[in-house]
Amino acid sequence: MWSFSQLTDWIDRSLHSVMGDGWALTVEFILIGVAILVAYAVLALFLIYAERKICAFFQCRIGPNRVGKWGIFQSVADMIKILLKELIRIDNSDKFLFRAAAFFVIIGSICTFGAIPFAKGLHAIDFNVGVFYLTAVSSLGVVGILLAGWSSNSKYTMIGAMRSGAQLISYEISAGLSLMTIVILSGTMQLSEIVEQQGQAWFIFKGGLPAVIAFITYLIAGHAETNRGPFDQPEAESELTAGYHTEYSGIQFGFFYLAEYLNAFIIAAIATTMFLGGWQPLHIPGWEGFNRIMDYIPSVIWFFGKTCFCIFLAFWVRWSFPRLRIDQLLSFEWKILMPICLINLILMSVYVIL
Amino acid sequence: MNAGKYIKNIFVGIYRLCQGMYITMLNFCRPKITEQYPENRGKKIYGERFRGLLTMPHDSENHHKCIACGICMNNCPNGTIKVITRMEKDETTGRDRKVLDRYIYNLGSCIFCGLCTRSCPQQAIEWSNNFEHSVFDPGKLIKQLNREGSSLAPKKTE
Amino acid sequence: MTETTDKTIQAPEYAETERVDGRTVFTVPAERLHDAARYLRDVAGCDFLIDIVGMDWGDSLGAFYHMSPTDRPAEVITLKTATTDRETPHLESVCDVWEVAQTYEREVHDFFGIVFTGNPDMRRLFLRESWQGYPLRKDYDADPALNPLHKESEPLSDMDVVPYFTLEDGRLVGHMRQMYEEDEYIVNFGPQHPAMHGVLHLRVSLDGEVIRSVDPNLGYIHRGIEKMCESYAYPQILHLTERLDYLSGNINRHAFCLCCEKALQIEAPQRAVYVRTIMDELTRIASHLLGWGSMCMDMGSITAFVYGMRDREKVMDIFEDTAGGRLMTSYYTIGGLASDIHPDFCRKVKEFIPYMRKMLREHHMLFTGNPIAAGRMKKTGRLTLDDAISLGATGPSGRASGWSNDIRKIAPYAAYDKVDFEVPMRTGGDTFDRYMVRLDEIEQSLRIIEQLIDNIPEGPYAEKMRPIIKLPEGEYFQRVENARGQFGVHISSRGDKTPYRVKFRSPCLPLVGALKHITPGSKVADLIMIGGSLDYVIPCMDR
Repeated sequence: MWSFSQLTDWIDRSLHSVMGDGWALTVEFILIGVAILVAYAVLALFLIYAERKICAFFQCRIGPNRVGKWGIFQSVADMIKILLKELIRIDNSDKFLFRAAAFFVIIGSICTFGAIPFAKGLHAIDFNVGVFYLTAVSSLGVVGILLAGWSSNSKYTMIGAMRSGAQLISYEISAGLSLMTIVILSGTMQLSEIVEQQGQAWFIFKGGLPAVIAFITYLIAGHAETNRGPFDQPEAESELTAGYHTEYSGIQFGFFYLAEYLNAFIIAAIATTMFLGGWQPLHIPGWEGFNRIMDYIPSVIWFFGKTCFCIFLAFWVRWSFPRLRIDQLLSFEWKILMPICLINLILMSVYVIL
Repeated sequence: MNAGKYIKNIFVGIYRLCQGMYITMLNFCRPKITEQYPENRGKKIYGERFRGLLTMPHDSENHHKCIACGICMNNCPNGTIKVITRMEKDETTGRDRKVLDRYIYNLGSCIFCGLCTRSCPQQAIEWSNNFEHSVFDPGKLIKQLNREGSSLAPKKTE
Repeated sequence: MTETTDKTIQAPEYAETERVDGRTVFTVPAERLHDAARYLRDVAGCDFLIDIVGMDWGDSLGAFYHMSPTDRPAEVITLKTATTDRETPHLESVCDVWEVAQTYEREVHDFFGIVFTGNPDMRRLFLRESWQGYPLRKDYDADPALNPLHKESEPLSDMDVVPYFTLEDGRLVGHMRQMYEEDEYIVNFGPQHPAMHGVLHLRVSLDGEVIRSVDPNLGYIHRGIEKMCESYAYPQILHLTERLDYLSGNINRHAFCLCCEKALQIEAPQRAVYVRTIMDELTRIASHLLGWGSMCMDMGSITAFVYGMRDREKVMDIFEDTAGGRLMTSYYTIGGLASDIHPDFCRKVKEFIPYMRKMLREHHMLFTGNPIAAGRMKKTGRLTLDDAISLGATGPSGRASGWSNDIRKIAPYAAYDKVDFEVPMRTGGDTFDRYMVRLDEIEQSLRIIEQLIDNIPEGPYAEKMRPIIKLPEGEYFQRVENARGQFGVHISSRGDKTPYRVKFRSPCLPLVGALKHITPGSKVADLIMIGGSLDYVIPCMDR
């Protein structure tokens, strides 16, 4: 299987051949930063388009179909529009925090984005505590949401922010516990190591029932963390108009919008990495020919294919169900999801010991 | 809560949720219902009785059927119609009679209730299906329905 | 309806009794109004106040109180009272007898300037507090200079101070009270809000997520339709009726046609009667589908809304074919129909029935069984039977509380006595019951259409009417079952070609009163959902 490390090594070598170590490192950092930002923006645009199209199909509609063939440039046009829009100044808002909030949200998701192994050898940050890092950084977003809600000086945003605070902190527990089951199974927290271990069989197959349960609970909890679907309490448009980002306009709103979609992607990507083998192809023990054919498919396609599957599931759920009420939301987490996760953790431990 | 009921609730809930997702997936695969507007212009997407725009049909000799009685004007709840008449000498009888000068129809205040067409004793006005009314200048919504130089159709001799 | 007699009700000795238009009318002096109301409520069992119709007879101001006993629902009993004081007219409030009177009295106060002593809230209902004059009085000065159009935004401070009046030693004394305390957390829902079905303004006092009180602020889409009616000829008024509750426009129009036909003592041809019934039921289906969809959307399920709209489109297409309009069909006329049915009408309706049945099953699978939806709807927004009657919450909302109030069954009009159908009833009175009653009604409407569609009699579709319709002098009141409840038309005629006074009994106005009554204590997310389940239409209550 072709590895991206050949490409990255070549860039590394050629940079070192023309400049000193320090400079080469600086240029590499910049390159990685630019690459991540570009990928971030492109992915977000793609996801916005995909969501609108998929949502339309679920609703018996066609969706965007005017800008470009099948409307594929719709989100580009929207991006241009959002860039041209006026940034409305809100009276009596906390100006500094109001502006900073959007960056908190987007920085949280970019940092997480960098840690995802996209393909073989395409992995910007690879800590030995990768899982730990992911959960830690991805919860930075809640700070941004709380700040946004508080600094806007509006009652809608305030309620939205408070809801989101309660929601994100609760669901982080379930998400963390679900990831922990895989950590138990793999014995490591390093993402690259976790993906490597799934070469023969993905954890969702290898881990048996506990892994399947963990996968589902992770998808639910992750979905809730992204404020989407039935869990979009903080931005419940039927009561809070747009929740915490009611007062934002132009590109500041765009940041929230991008972050929302990227968070959905990140949750799907983590689910892929942890449960569905990351960029590893589908291998069935004993079927050598089949396995070899699967190996020909590039790893990056495997990764994005599986991620898209998870995202599709999320869209499907989002466009099927009504929104939960805040007390339902919290009792679902504390009374159903978390007990299941805890029991599942024990199950997995037993499974690993056996 | 007893444990059996708790677990049963979870499974029933999952089953019901799956049912909902089945319905949405069913619709995902169904043909779509969106009408694509400028493309379907030629097709008949509205009923033939659809009240789009009040018109006064003219025949090939530029005759209309309006006798300028003003019943439509009196029946209109919004004062949308103005029938402006003039006196003209009748060629056959030689007497002065009232004929239609201008039939002014203000589309902007029309509510498409159909009282004018229903009350017209001569069926001189009728609805067309045209629904593309948007203009940039509101003055253009005030339309004259009788054509330039048109006149009342002569009575058919039987 | 006319043959119902009410020998059981003994008139109080201070009342004059007469029979008008199939109703018993008790005329009482203004000072005995409250006694008479109490008597009729407690002794005669008239626990449902249908409407209060404010009147200006020129020399005196007063009101008709239409009411009905729930155990003999076909009967309508009218209490008539008047005061000759035109400077400071005042009547005693009956809002302690019927809760719904509080809203109705505010409306009468708004339009006629009659002050109701004892009503705790005497703000104007639709117009702004600074409005000069009382528009439905016959001596109202409509000079635009008195009430200029304001173009700048103004604070809502006039809604915070609530005036109320008491009678002390026969003198009218005004009082003021503040609506809210200093530090209450008040959130404005509407008039522009994604989940307000129109321009309703709710001022919600919150305690965290929990609602303390709701104050509906109406009148954003008040068009003065009742005032306009007084200068319109009867056929011209018809199109205004459709613009009240635009989702059941046909049924409202039907009510006005029936009322005029009753006054003129004519009957529409059988063909028209059958077609009207079918069209009414199609309207009901369309309205319930939209109501279902928007309620689902209020709960966050936008997909369900699109499905509801998709199915409703089929009904709209049928309307368009036959009537030429989709929402404002302008189809019924006094004495029949505007045109004969389209040749494709029967075929399309017959195709629609099985399609709708199939879709209804899907809607149930998608939403009714959904544990999230059921969990949110069950046990929230409970409206008890007594409250429903006292608040006048008719239609599906009342039937979900176990109150059988379907005019189609209790006082059949059109072809409803020829068909076999059930009135879906539930007893819980919570949001889920209201939701289910609506969906069950779609099924019953399909049944009605199924029985009628093959039996439309041949014959003329309209009675030949004179070009100018003049109703004989008198008071006429007609109720029909609209998709939201009892829609009533009260016409007071003096024999002219324009009515002297027209009052529409909106089924939606009491529903907002019900919203105010049942939401305190529930979550803010439920407010929107309960509003969706009551399914009010703002133009209907604002008129």
